[in-house]
Amino acid sequence: MTPEDTTGDASEYDLPHLVMTYTALNSLSILRDDFSKLDRRGILRFLSACQRKDGSFSALPNGGESDLRMLYCAFVISSMLNDWTGIDVDRAIDYIRQCYSYEGGYGQTPGGEALGGTTYCAVAALHLAPDTQRFPRGSWLTPEERERTIRWLVQNQTHSGGFSGRTNKLADACYCFWCGATLSILGAGDLVDERALVAFLTDCQFKFGGISKAPGERPDPYHTYLSLAVLSIITTSHGDDESWKLPQLDALWNATESTAAWAREHIPAKQGSC
Amino acid sequence: MSELGLLADDPEWADVTPIRQYENVNPIAPIFYSEEYKDATDYFRAVVKAGETSPRVLKLTEKIIRMNPAHYTAWQHRYKTLIALQSDLEEELRLMDDIAKQFLKTYQVWHHRRLLLTAINSVDVAQLELEFLKDVLEVDTKNYHTWSYRQWILAHFNKEARLWAGERPYAEALLDADVRNNSAWHHRFFVVFSSGEKIALAPNNPSAWNYLRGVLEFTKTPFETLTSFVLPYTASKPPAPEDEVVDLDNPLPSQDAELPCVAALEFLADVYEKRGGDDTAKAVEVSVPMTRVFKQADLRVQFWKTLANEKDIIRKKYWEYRIREALQRAT
Repeated sequence: MTPEDTTGDASEYDLPHLVMTYTALNSLSILRDDFSKLDRRGILRFLSACQRKDGSFSALPNGGESDLRMLYCAFVISSMLNDWTGIDVDRAIDYIRQCYSYEGGYGQTPGGEALGGTTYCAVAALHLAPDTQRFPRGSWLTPEERERTIRWLVQNQTHSGGFSGRTNKLADACYCFWCGATLSILGAGDLVDERALVAFLTDCQFKFGGISKAPGERPDPYHTYLSLAVLSIITTSHGDDESWKLPQLDALWNATESTAAWAREHIPAKQGSC
Repeated sequence: MSELGLLADDPEWADVTPIRQYENVNPIAPIFYSEEYKDATDYFRAVVKAGETSPRVLKLTEKIIRMNPAHYTAWQHRYKTLIALQSDLEEELRLMDDIAKQFLKTYQVWHHRRLLLTAINSVDVAQLELEFLKDVLEVDTKNYHTWSYRQWILAHFNKEARLWAGERPYAEALLDADVRNNSAWHHRFFVVFSSGEKIALAPNNPSAWNYLRGVLEFTKTPFETLTSFVLPYTASKPPAPEDEVVDLDNPLPSQDAELPCVAALEFLADVYEKRGGDDTAKAVEVSVPMTRVFKQADLRVQFWKTLANEKDIIRKKYWEYRIREALQRAT
């Protein structure tokens, strides 16, 4: 509602967006909202409207690009609500599997080149997925596929200590999270050379504060956050240096464990309500 | 509307009451938009609310997109307007060439092109798109969005041999220029191992099926891994077009394909043969009408009988020999 538009009627300008919905639920959990005003059924209807025929999700109910990023958001939202009735999980898993590349990572869309960020989205989504008749837990990834993914992720740690997002590309702070967190989800976080990783991220710090994508570049909130996030997953011993101590992170939701615990307690519908 | 002028001063927009962005009563940190951006989006909000799709909306959305190419609502409403006005979508693509080069890493730029090309649905235009992408990839040979769009075009027009024809030499040329270009390696793999594409082009071509079997045997890949690709070729007619989902690993037979395809029936019989023949419970998991008919019986024998008696009568003796051999092994 604005002075010129007092009816408050929604127009197509106000459509919900999958990424915004995911970040809103996370942000409200960080602020410890009690979620008493959350329209849970509305969110489920919205998720269902965003799912496409091929199992992927578009950003908006009436369109927008559809790829693994949006699918990941839909999976986190469903798992936060602890209600998967808004989406067709089997179709979504089919879509994820189509994005699997010969290198072991996942492309952004089917047939795409393996990419760190979308590999995180794919692997995290698979690990969030509930059991279905077609895909009992774990069956969506064969042992060989899992090994190939781990090999590719580990290979992305470059001699600079940081991770690149694709084979033969330069290291970038954000891919330290996308690849490091994925390794951790796969139970292989200990395969990272954590000292080299820490050294790289240390070099990415800007002299006036913040962390940039690579040494010598300008910092931004995105790379600063993801650097801290990976440092809270791939833990190292820094002796008595308190400044390196970070809260534990829930790698699947990309939220601190205490925020995730709050979300788990407050976001799902209470028995007998909606 | 002058390039830098405000819509508020433009008589063309005098009939519209702009709608300001809702920012709560006392925003803690109001976003510092430029006057020009605020003006354009205020009018745009009113346009969307009224559902207006007119030529001036095209000018307005272009103005907003040039200031903020990630404004997804502007993109969406622009597309809606183009369709409503029955605009020349090829002309729109040419206008977008410049915007794509300027905002190479913006998702919406490429999504808009997908929508346009889907609506135009012309192989000639797709060919021009591949040429345009060559230009763009010269600037940034590893641009993910560009590659992704290129592979989408090929998958979307997966039965158009002439679109695919130049792709392998193109990938090779890029590798000659930079042997570490992983995007080019990936593209080469994408093109070479889409052997299913060629089967989709001509399902009853034994050369393509033999090549596929050869690749599987050479790489010791179980035939079973291609079950979902082969199944639609064993049905008696192609899937309804509305059910078609572009799946590059599993390209579907075309609407005019002669089905069921003999080589596909043979392939599936081999899959069941390798499973041990009588594992029908597992076979019906893949829910295709054809397999349900055979639920009770030994699937591979049913397939061979279909071949012997209906679909490939000339090799009746051979298929009966396969049945005898299989049953003998079983006892």
